[in-house]
Amino acid sequence: MTMIAPDPVAPDPKVDRALTRRRWLGRLRGDSAGRPVWRQPIAVVALTILGGWLLVAILAPLVAPYDPLAQSADTYASPSAAHWFGTDSLGRDIFSRVVHGARLSIPLALAIVSLALLIGGLLGLVAGYLGRFADEALMRLTDLVFAFPQIILAMAVTAAFGPNTRNAVLALVIVSWPVYARVIRSAVLSMRGDDYLNAARLLGVGPVRALRRDVLPNSIGPAVVLATLELGNAVLLLAALSFLGLGPRPPAAEWGSMVALGSQDLSMWWVSVFPGLAILTVVMAFNVLGDALRDRLDPRYAKGR
Amino acid sequence: MSVSPRRLRAGALALATLAVISTTACTAGGSGGNANNGAATTLTVNTSFVLKTLDPGRVYEATGLTAVHALYDTLLTFEGSDVGTPVPALAESYETSPDAKTFTFKLRSGVTFSDGSPLTADDVVFSLNRLKNIKGSPAVTVSELSVSKTDDSTVVVTSATPNPNVPVVLAMPSTGVLNAKAAQDNGAKDGEDAAQGDTAQQYLDTNSIGSGPYVLKSYEPESQVVLEANPNYWGEKPQFERVVLRNMDVQTQKLTMQRAESAEISLDISGKLLDGLPESLQTSGVQDTVYFLFLNADPAVSAVTSNPKFNQALRAAIDYQGIAALYGAGAAPGAGLVAPAFPGTLPGSEASTRDVPKAKALLAEAGLTNPTVTFNYPAITYKGVDLGTVATKVQGDAAEAGITLELNPQPLTSFLDEMRGGKSPLGFTPQSLNYPVADSLINNMAPGQATALRSGWTVERAEPAIVAAGEKVTETLDLAARATAMQEWQRLMNQSSPYIVLASNSSTVVATADLTGADYSAAGWQVDVAAVGRR
Repeated sequence: MTMIAPDPVAPDPKVDRALTRRRWLGRLRGDSAGRPVWRQPIAVVALTILGGWLLVAILAPLVAPYDPLAQSADTYASPSAAHWFGTDSLGRDIFSRVVHGARLSIPLALAIVSLALLIGGLLGLVAGYLGRFADEALMRLTDLVFAFPQIILAMAVTAAFGPNTRNAVLALVIVSWPVYARVIRSAVLSMRGDDYLNAARLLGVGPVRALRRDVLPNSIGPAVVLATLELGNAVLLLAALSFLGLGPRPPAAEWGSMVALGSQDLSMWWVSVFPGLAILTVVMAFNVLGDALRDRLDPRYAKGR
Repeated sequence: MSVSPRRLRAGALALATLAVISTTACTAGGSGGNANNGAATTLTVNTSFVLKTLDPGRVYEATGLTAVHALYDTLLTFEGSDVGTPVPALAESYETSPDAKTFTFKLRSGVTFSDGSPLTADDVVFSLNRLKNIKGSPAVTVSELSVSKTDDSTVVVTSATPNPNVPVVLAMPSTGVLNAKAAQDNGAKDGEDAAQGDTAQQYLDTNSIGSGPYVLKSYEPESQVVLEANPNYWGEKPQFERVVLRNMDVQTQKLTMQRAESAEISLDISGKLLDGLPESLQTSGVQDTVYFLFLNADPAVSAVTSNPKFNQALRAAIDYQGIAALYGAGAAPGAGLVAPAFPGTLPGSEASTRDVPKAKALLAEAGLTNPTVTFNYPAITYKGVDLGTVATKVQGDAAEAGITLELNPQPLTSFLDEMRGGKSPLGFTPQSLNYPVADSLINNMAPGQATALRSGWTVERAEPAIVAAGEKVTETLDLAARATAMQEWQRLMNQSSPYIVLASNSSTVVATADLTGADYSAAGWQVDVAAVGRR
């Protein structure tokens, strides 16, 4: 008696697609070996810090005891009950400014990374899927951007367009999209020729649909990890630009420009140390979180396996 | 991809940590000076070098002026911090004609150059003609002067127009007297075509041929300039055998002075940077810089700033005392355009004061509700004060009166370009004088003059009384009366000119406790190193 069974190595493309799409989401939940992200103590700490900052940003007017722009005669007051983080040279309350600074740094960092991910991701998808000339052209363009240190290129772009918030964001998008383009492209390249893609094509699935339904879901994982890491970098680069006077215009409560103000007189340590600590905690939290995500999603970095 | 995120993360962490650590950590640059070797003989002067040349005919920068003043004698000079009364130097006396056009100088006898040869009237005539004719930056101060000798020890300087301040000009380091023969041997020319023919700068950068208390030992424009006592000096020998001018940024100067024990001076620690210096150090400062706002008087540039009522309202809105406090201990609230260091300044009792209700009333009178103006300023730190902090304070003050200023920090070059183009509706700038005579303010800032036109301030747009008051200053030849006329001009300027003087700030010499004579001079040379001694 012969039984005709389905060939186990030629899976139904639909099934395979559903499986692969969940591959990185599944890892996140910890259904392969190891603990899920939210069971790693360090990641929990990072998530708590970020959650706290997010809350502070949303509730800033309630959290801050003073108007962040209000000047007073009480200049250079050291930290006290009235001014937890002291006041700066114009008598502005530093605690209130740090709190309101979260409303600038965090959303702007998110905007920078989302825009860069969107632009870089789309270009990477197209380059990887089409290959040949499109790929060549795009990769040379990324080489061009990679040829400069990020901060130098961002400074040049902002200085050329004029220093303000919009141009600082624009400059940081310009310097950060190529990373995503590279990552997505390489993920797409590694998929090219996979059976389920071939099958989909044979079934008459067009390139746009294939990119959207098959390629993107399978390549977005590493880019998301990278984006989390890059969030910290974006906060830092933005702070660096405004430290140099190329970010949001004064009197905006931006952490980088607050550090710059304090660096003029180091004996008034509180003026720059508190905004500096704000930058430090946010950047570290994003990095730890990104690290933890990568450990889950990229087997090459998995520990203890 | 596997590498870059990790590298990025490491970099990000390092930078974030730096952002915090850099604000608390201290790293010292230079040594503490000359603690052991030659402690008795070397004076160290730390300054952030602004140095292009040591050629008296071309020197225009602060560091160069300090050195040239020690290398070359001038006909007259100033002592200590005073810049009001020129005192004899190479000239033992001088006479001024009643029309303030002719000045006769009697030269001191027995003066020799550092090579031992005698200094004569020919050397003075050569040096002043060369200064005028090579047309370097400082030539503008002598462009109306001509010079001749009547005998070997008498020099006559004539001015094309009446100018009672010629003696002050002849105390400036650029009028230093060179050894004419040595200069000519090395390419110096004094004829009317000297601008093309003179090739002495290179020689004069590395050799001194003057009669001053010091001679040039070495010249390294990036790092240091070393002076040694002139063995043939005709006057009283300076106490220090050697003077070393060291190039040092201002933060390092502060750290260095905190550790310095003896024979050390810093020239750039001023403003807020003076806070936290050890009590043992001595400071000498003079308020020689004014900071002012300029509002454009041209309605085509801004209908708001050209409105006289808005001008008055902004004047009344500003907290002058609070702004002076931002500049630190050596500052004062703005009184007039002439800084307190110079003759003709307004007394501190006439400092502008704040009146917010008056500002609001003026705005209402003008029918302006929530006027909004772009406020340009150079994003720099000048004499220890961040101009952005002051601009933010002005913005806060104006907001209380209902005026919105949109801060627009600019790189210095863009700021200057926009200002020169006359397109800035509202701007903010410091101003120091090139030589200690306030007349140049009238030549530049009176209605219709070059600087005034950059703010759209034509004679037609100005009060006739201001024009007349400015003319009165230049017509007055008696120096005391001229200073009074200058004050009157400033009072009128404070009522309706495009300039709002915010504050005046000091330049400061910081010196170790063992030194004497380390006085700041607003005459250009900052400190007379030859006058510095030990207790």
